[in-house]
Amino acid sequence: MILDFLDQYLVNGLVLGVIYAMVAVGFTLFFGVLNIIKFSHGDVLMAGGFAALLAHQTLTSLGSELTIFNLIVTIIFAVLSMGLLGALAARFLVLPLKAAPPLNTLLITLMLGLAIREAVRLFYPNGSNPKPFPRLLPDTSTTLQTFQIRTDSLIIIFGGLGAILFLHLLIKNTRLGLAIRAIAQDSETARLMGINFRKIVLGTFALGSGLAALAGVANGLYYNEVNFSMGLFLGVVGFSSAVVGGLGSILGAIIGGFLFALLQTLGAIWFTVPAYKDVFAFIIIIVIMACRPTGLLSESSSDRV
Amino acid sequence: MENKLLDVTNLTVEFGGLTALSGLDFQLREGELLGLIGPNGSGKTTCFNAITGIYKPSKGSVVLLTKDITGLNSQKIYKSGITRTFQRLRLAVGLSVFDNLVIGDTVDLNTSVLFNLLKRKALRKQVDYQLNKVKNILKIFNPDLVNAIYEPISKLTMIDRRRVEVCRALISRPRVLLLDEPSAGMTSEETREFMDDLLEIKKKTPSLGIILIEHEMSVIQRVTDRCVVLNYGKKIAEGTYKAISCSRDVRVAYLGED
Amino acid sequence: MMHSNLKISTILTAVLTMGAMAVFFISFLLAETEISLLITVALGIGFFIFAKNQSYFENMIIFSNQRPVFFHGLIIIIISLILSICKHEHFALFMIASVTLYATACFGLTLQLGYAGLTNFAGAAFLGIGGYTVAILANNNVPIILSVLFGGITASLIGSLLILPILRTRGHYAALVTIAFSLLFKTFLELNEFLGGPQGIKIPPMNLFGWSFSEPVLGGSFYISYVILSLIVMGVVLGITRLVEKSWLGLHFDSVRIDEVASSCFGINIAFWKITAFTIGNFFIGISGGIYANMLGHIAPTNFTFGDSLILISIVILGGIGNPIGVLPAAFLILVLPEKLQFIQEYRLLLFSILVILVLIYRPDGLLNRPLRKFYKEWGPPFIGK
Repeated sequence: MILDFLDQYLVNGLVLGVIYAMVAVGFTLFFGVLNIIKFSHGDVLMAGGFAALLAHQTLTSLGSELTIFNLIVTIIFAVLSMGLLGALAARFLVLPLKAAPPLNTLLITLMLGLAIREAVRLFYPNGSNPKPFPRLLPDTSTTLQTFQIRTDSLIIIFGGLGAILFLHLLIKNTRLGLAIRAIAQDSETARLMGINFRKIVLGTFALGSGLAALAGVANGLYYNEVNFSMGLFLGVVGFSSAVVGGLGSILGAIIGGFLFALLQTLGAIWFTVPAYKDVFAFIIIIVIMACRPTGLLSESSSDRV
Repeated sequence: MENKLLDVTNLTVEFGGLTALSGLDFQLREGELLGLIGPNGSGKTTCFNAITGIYKPSKGSVVLLTKDITGLNSQKIYKSGITRTFQRLRLAVGLSVFDNLVIGDTVDLNTSVLFNLLKRKALRKQVDYQLNKVKNILKIFNPDLVNAIYEPISKLTMIDRRRVEVCRALISRPRVLLLDEPSAGMTSEETREFMDDLLEIKKKTPSLGIILIEHEMSVIQRVTDRCVVLNYGKKIAEGTYKAISCSRDVRVAYLGED
Repeated sequence: MMHSNLKISTILTAVLTMGAMAVFFISFLLAETEISLLITVALGIGFFIFAKNQSYFENMIIFSNQRPVFFHGLIIIIISLILSICKHEHFALFMIASVTLYATACFGLTLQLGYAGLTNFAGAAFLGIGGYTVAILANNNVPIILSVLFGGITASLIGSLLILPILRTRGHYAALVTIAFSLLFKTFLELNEFLGGPQGIKIPPMNLFGWSFSEPVLGGSFYISYVILSLIVMGVVLGITRLVEKSWLGLHFDSVRIDEVASSCFGINIAFWKITAFTIGNFFIGISGGIYANMLGHIAPTNFTFGDSLILISIVILGGIGNPIGVLPAAFLILVLPEKLQFIQEYRLLLFSILVILVLIYRPDGLLNRPLRKFYKEWGPPFIGK
């Protein structure tokens, strides 16, 4: 009986996995360059979803009815605005605290997350209620032998993987990417070699936040709903995924994201109460963390003696 | 004088595929001041970290007197009598000089919760006892520091911070003291003063063994009894300063001579 | 500061400052209109600046160090006066008790975050554990004093389960584990029929050795009982917290927080000290949650959300991380201000988050920065030339 829905579970798990992986990659990037955890990341994702909603409403009120055009403009707006927000957060909140104890950075990003959450709740028209998100993806479905797959799920899965691959190539093959990698290796030496540390940090935050915005749009497209409080949970999931995969490694973040989604899916199959799937996934993740503190793919140690 | 204090055999540290220290053998005798030298990245600090339990050695053994301390954690190694300083200062900058020194003497403190909360008079006695101890050890290095006991570390000069760090390592009366480049950031005049103090400590505690990481050859020549030279994680020479300064391998490592 | 050298003027200004603080406290609490509140705040700030310039606050500290019995006696007299003035004011008394209990919980957080450097973002969840434990036990006729103690113990025990993964991993994971716990705890409460689900659970009023907490006291509000009880508990917890700080325990916590590598190279057992701080801290949070739940008479999952945990953390940061005395004005400000200024009630989380961000950037030490450790009263450099 459960096997009947196996294809649904599988596709759902893959979509969630991609979304989680996109969030986790952001955590991994920030940790790589600055050795910090940015707890507002989940709320940036949420704000990205709302930015997309705002863009779409503006477009339709201007009379634009071409779905594909609306989709692309919406995504671009969300990614750019959140990229800007990420860079601003790095410039005004994270970098000034560089010399302070790491605890302060953690607290300030946590509070930034709260501020974003509350700002959306209070200032977005009727923001305290869940908002319907427009269906901008085709709602047809494809049948592969016995498997039935919705087209929008496929687009989200491949779109998300494509975005991560794009980021990976960017880091691997461009000057910006080289600078990011150099700073992640050894920020002092990188600075001595003439790399503009500030600029690169801002760039990295913009990239990571843009990716989070994309995840927010994907999340909205998949559930057809955005909600001011969804960021907190997605942030914690993304962080856990990054930790389990091994902070600092993009591949690790992807593995971690899919692992979390897999655990949630298994939890959903096994437990009748839906909320227990999260409890289950978190417990397993915490157990894995306790057994392999540096993650599945080893995290680079940063504590020099 | 000839009693063997620390016996390091075939000490090897690997990180993933990288071998940071390979097959290091050396001995430290009681009362000896051993110089550990070598170019940057040659494995000197790694050696300290492996002895003090921060890194787990992948091969080899470290024996203190008769006790095998290989692979023990840092706490147990401290309790068996090895203390150290760090290349980059690791003092608690926001705490007072007194607090920092007492952290070096945790083995001598009663840390039971009930004692600390209820027996305030006995605790006060312990605090005053430590206060005396702290004053006495600071006097050796810089009498002025005694007046700074209640000041935070952040008010001290760099040299005084180095001195406090050495005092923190000495206050528990260890058997072996590991000094990781204590002269970093000092002028040559300050270094000379510091090394004089070190020699005085050596004279006062004849059973203490000291290993000193140092770059300045004139300092090595003046204060060490023997030296071990590392390069690329391997020992390339051992002996008195005179002997090693004649060694061809050492010259190649240091001066790039062929 | 020799014992005999306490000047009359020092005593007078110290007492004056304390009196002024009490007057400010009462006027703030009882202000009916926003105008009168504004005037109170303006006068308060004015006096604060004046007192600071005249170093009245230093005099207060000297006074409290030199004449501890007199000082604490005066505090008790001032509190009794405040209570007798407010004895019919249900709301004011309820706010005093809430501030007191939140401050008590924040002393627990001070031990964890301020001393041992352990991030606990599940403060409200541990309050809730204390509260729900008391609810279950009190409904099964367990004496209240025992249920409150059990509330603290349960919070400690559940906390020690949480800390196991934290010990194996690095610092920032404590934040992750406690946030996850905080989110899941609320879900757990909502799903649990035994604990009343989303509607919550009722708690019978307290009865301590025949002293019924639902009866009016001295002809005033029944909240007076809760105020007195919470003040006593807070006093004890504050005393313990300060003793911890002025002892080898505090020194070990500080060392663990500042540098784990150096600490373990000097024989400090990191895991032991983290467990100790986490356990004692959660015990304090648990008992304040137990009394708080009792005072509310009815608790529900919405009382113990992640947002409430962030409020607890905000109080600690605003007060000055590691300074328990700073917690008191901070708790007062953060809890009472939104109640008094109804128009900011809706915006309070946003305002607090911005406030904490500003504090972290411009004044990381908070309202009152933490002084260096003084092991005992006369601790400090001797007077030179005397």
